[in-house]
Amino acid sequence: MAIAKAERLMNLALCLRGTARPLTKRELRTSIEAYIEAGSEDAFNRMFERDKDDLRELGMVIDTVESLDGEVGYMARRDSNRLPPITLDVAESAALSLAARVWQQARLAGAASGALQKLRAAGMPLADDGQERTHALEPRVPAGEAAFEPLMLACRDRRPVTFGYRKSNAVRAETRQVEPWALECWRGHWYLAGWDRDRGDKRVFRLSRIDGKVRSRSGSFTVPVPGQVAVREAVAAWAGENATDRARIRLRSGSGYPLRARALSCRALDAEWDELEIPYGHGLGSWLAEFGPDVLVLDPAELRADVVERLRAVAKG
Amino acid sequence: MATNAIDRTRRLLSLVTYLRDRPGARVDEVARAFGVTEEELISDLQVLPLCGTSFRGGDLLDIDTDGEHIWWYNAAAVNSSAGEPLRLAADEATALLVAARAVATLPGLRESDREALLRATAKLEAAAGESAVAGARMSVTFESEGSVFADVDRAIAERRRLRIRYYSPGRDKLSEREIDPIRLFAVGHTYVEAWCRRSEGRRTFRLDRVAHIELLDTPADPPPLQPRDLSAGLVQPSPDDPEVVFEVGLGGRWITEYYPYDAAEELPDGGLRVTLRTPDPHTLRRLVLRLGPDGRVVEPAELAVSARDAARAALSAYEELGLA
Repeated sequence: MAIAKAERLMNLALCLRGTARPLTKRELRTSIEAYIEAGSEDAFNRMFERDKDDLRELGMVIDTVESLDGEVGYMARRDSNRLPPITLDVAESAALSLAARVWQQARLAGAASGALQKLRAAGMPLADDGQERTHALEPRVPAGEAAFEPLMLACRDRRPVTFGYRKSNAVRAETRQVEPWALECWRGHWYLAGWDRDRGDKRVFRLSRIDGKVRSRSGSFTVPVPGQVAVREAVAAWAGENATDRARIRLRSGSGYPLRARALSCRALDAEWDELEIPYGHGLGSWLAEFGPDVLVLDPAELRADVVERLRAVAKG
Repeated sequence: MATNAIDRTRRLLSLVTYLRDRPGARVDEVARAFGVTEEELISDLQVLPLCGTSFRGGDLLDIDTDGEHIWWYNAAAVNSSAGEPLRLAADEATALLVAARAVATLPGLRESDREALLRATAKLEAAAGESAVAGARMSVTFESEGSVFADVDRAIAERRRLRIRYYSPGRDKLSEREIDPIRLFAVGHTYVEAWCRRSEGRRTFRLDRVAHIELLDTPADPPPLQPRDLSAGLVQPSPDDPEVVFEVGLGGRWITEYYPYDAAEELPDGGLRVTLRTPDPHTLRRLVLRLGPDGRVVEPAELAVSARDAARAALSAYEELGLA
């Protein structure tokens, strides 16, 4: 199946790229075997429209030209389809090849290797076997959720979308109408930033909380897209990383390394306990509760109450 | 890797350009240039002779291979216009540019590699033209701990052993160990895969949990290993690992986003019953304490008891200080 379709697309591409004048649908239908065998006119038309869309996805610019006698013709003009000259040295090529391997998401992985193939065809040098392997680092971008691909296309084409979104503490998803601006992957998770039409404000969504299908809406954006979209800052604020307050805790000697690593001050009280001052932001209470009897919150009182309440719930168990 | 028709067409188009300019190209070299196996290339070469501008005429591509070289007997069948390198599509430009920008910001990247990548990115942006625009709508940031990264990178390049003090969150303990690093990889955070000399086993360490690192003069000597396949995720519980069952309320549903699990059943109150596996359930005591009123352990009972005892000990310490 895949071969038959690739063969048909290749034939169409070669016809459209090779011609010096627009080719009519009729001409294309009689010179490409798969179209001759397409059956009804309707079936052919549907197939032909899809094929043109597919070739455009591959980068081809296909012009529709109406001739003097009113017949529509198609062609891929040489000057609008040609890759501009690009010269990459061996080091640049090796660096790009390494970068292209980061994608685990199928569509982007395919697009990245497709781009490299075009560059190779245009003369990009092949590094020696050893050269591409001298990099010790292998960065990987996680494949992302089912919502990733439709959102990527919607961001690309600036199309509004709707999707079900389940907040972390909600049972049911709620429908959101969003003008998607940008996708960002941070700490291994994908986020979408955009304009939430119902809330009339910008929002950041975590892709793993999107429930069900992402649907495209007709129409265009109603709000201008900002020049800079700050996804990371929004997420960092949720994670309590922009904390300006401080908390004072007792920490058992030798434990709680990550708390020590971000402590503003630390002094030993006795052989068993140290006293630390740490930044106090959103989510600190649940984190401190993890340390059980190795952490005692001194102040503020509200943080202590939060931790004690969590401990009481577990102590009942 | 399975190829869909779109990816295959893309490759065939580039192959036509590539082969047209390189009569007698070697099969192994072309396969390497295109990032495919020789078998995949040969199967592409079987499709090309079915392509052309007219199936009836004599202008199908007459391309053939003896398994070693590739010959094209009528390269004129494709005129120079159709044989030219094709412009980059928006997705192609996005995939390469976003990846290149992400890798270029890795703090531990070698300076020469970073410079090469930045040069390549600038050239690519210019060549991609308007296809590059959509690339600004996506970005990826890798986290990496600069100085630790540099030491691990150097140890790998010079094949030397490392001594690290490493934080294990499950036990809330730092431990000293010597490791022979194998490779660095980044999935959100940056990790080193290594042969651990203390446990004589393969271990993965997250760089932001390395509290101290020292490059030793001892040569690294890891046994020959296949790098772990990470496509199924970083944490891959084994079927023999003990099962842990949680019941969480609304406020605890997030655990399914952070822990790989086997099953999650909806509960009538809006909560979930989550079944997961882990080599050492005791390391989940932290999770139980974190969940607090938002969840409880159903199984194993020892885990519930250990969390309960920890919470009680903490509460009595607060009482002693007159703080609770």
